[in-house]
Amino acid sequence: MPYDFQEVLETIRMTEIEHFDIRTVTLGISLRDCSDRNAQVAKQKVYEKILRYGSKHVQYAKEIERKYGISIANKRVSVTPVSIPFDSFGIEEFIEIASAMDKAAEEIGIDYIAGYSALVQKGMTNGEKNMIMSIPGALSSTKRVCSSVNVASTKAGINMDAILMMSDVIKKTAELTKDKDSIGCAKLVVFCNVPEDNPFVAGAFHGVSEPEIVLNVGISGPGVVLDAVRETGRGDLSALAEAIKKTIFKITRAGELIGREVAQKHNVPFGIVDISLAPTPAEGDSIADILKAMGVEDVGAPGTTAALAMLNDSVKKAGLMASSSVGGMSGAFIPVSEDQGMIDAVKRGNLSIEKLEAMTAVCSVGLDMIAIPGDTPATTIAGLIADECAIGVINDKTTAVRVIPAYGKIVGDIVDYGGLLGLAPVMSIRELSSANFVNRGGRIPAPMRSLTN
Amino acid sequence: MKFSEEQLRKLALIAISELGENASPDKVKSVVSKAVENANAERIVMDQGSSNSTGKIILTAFGLNRPGIISAITKEISVCNCDIHDLSQKIMDDFFTMIMIVDITNSIQDFKDIQERMSQIATELNIKIYTQHEDIFRAMHRL
Repeated sequence: MPYDFQEVLETIRMTEIEHFDIRTVTLGISLRDCSDRNAQVAKQKVYEKILRYGSKHVQYAKEIERKYGISIANKRVSVTPVSIPFDSFGIEEFIEIASAMDKAAEEIGIDYIAGYSALVQKGMTNGEKNMIMSIPGALSSTKRVCSSVNVASTKAGINMDAILMMSDVIKKTAELTKDKDSIGCAKLVVFCNVPEDNPFVAGAFHGVSEPEIVLNVGISGPGVVLDAVRETGRGDLSALAEAIKKTIFKITRAGELIGREVAQKHNVPFGIVDISLAPTPAEGDSIADILKAMGVEDVGAPGTTAALAMLNDSVKKAGLMASSSVGGMSGAFIPVSEDQGMIDAVKRGNLSIEKLEAMTAVCSVGLDMIAIPGDTPATTIAGLIADECAIGVINDKTTAVRVIPAYGKIVGDIVDYGGLLGLAPVMSIRELSSANFVNRGGRIPAPMRSLTN
Repeated sequence: MKFSEEQLRKLALIAISELGENASPDKVKSVVSKAVENANAERIVMDQGSSNSTGKIILTAFGLNRPGIISAITKEISVCNCDIHDLSQKIMDDFFTMIMIVDITNSIQDFKDIQERMSQIATELNIKIYTQHEDIFRAMHRL
């Protein structure tokens, strides 16, 4: 027998009991050849191109799912940041592009399409300005479109003007989608050092240096890691790191296999594997539970940041060894609404925004899916984004803010989206003003660490 | 792809009925060998398409022991024209466990159908049967 009993059982346990799944196969499609002076023509080109490459996406993924008996949770599409091919457009025309993307996504049977994005870390063109201003309209008039804007990078510094615009955009989006608990904000991410090959929606887009079309795969499996941590029992931290690495190594290898198979079916190049522990509201599929199994009483206890740092680092190291194509975020996500353990910690009053901010310095993304009171001033949101960008810029890592100023809600209320987006208790945020600082505008210059040439 | 004697006989019969009155041993032979060649050519293209794939599955069954488990599973496998490459089976107390490596390359059913048949058997016998592609195990456990 080429495999021993333990190995076979381990694989079955991972796939059948511990929720190991391929979180997403994301088809990246370039829209750079879809530009046209006429918005209607451009819209048609976008729709046709997404359909041309993406119409079989769901079918192929399902075939591979069946072949390997491993579920692929999400099939998605990312496109070139729309501000680039359609730089000449006005606000209304950008919204037309969003509706074409939405229609195409519906037609090919996917739940989200991402890439309604702009990269403005150093400055913005007129088109980019229009695109950013169109976001509230685009997100409130579509169902499937996700948007992201990169406002800072280690090389360029922090564009405070863009942050100010984005904080207004977030507030406006919350208001326009107030009937659905401000759901528009759940589809809008503000980034620092955004990766160009991230397959995880809502922050995905098809980077400018990417080929015509590419297939990226995002793997998850908090449940698998949780059981590995539990099995280690009271071993020391090196033993724990080793256990996490071994587990991640195995699931990365399986994930890459699946990704390559789907890419081969499409006959498109395979891009990257993003091995990120992304929680879902399902029982046992939680990062918070892993941190607690590592030993902290609850998320938010002193030691949480250290535990998360170790977890994140072990994930990266194992991914790196398992595949030569590791990219995207690759680490641990710590969204609040999508992780039952996090939700409970917030409800118990153990987890504050400040502690979450500290945790984002060592996790792979940032302040994610956090609901704050609807009357939070835009300048406070700008301060929050600027803080997050500072962490990213100085540490040369990706950080992001996906915050929901839930319209009409106060601390203690709940926003409930159901499904993968989960539910978030509205958290308190300090009422001290950041206005005089952020309203200075301009750009925080790139730090020392940018001068590496 | 290797053809069984039965498959070759079927091919010959089809060739004879299509050729009708023109059928002669030589003609039938050339038609059949052409068909075999074509099938092989298709096979090569398919193999190139999935070069890493072995066409084997790993079937794991476990549950409370009772007579007829192996018989039920192997019967189904032979009906599907699959080939058992390896089998390891243990009884632990009252518990039956079995791991089987099955080649499904020549199967008349696709993997999904085999999975469905196995889950039917699992329900009938009140045991668990998992079937997964060998590639997954190789990726996870072998460098």
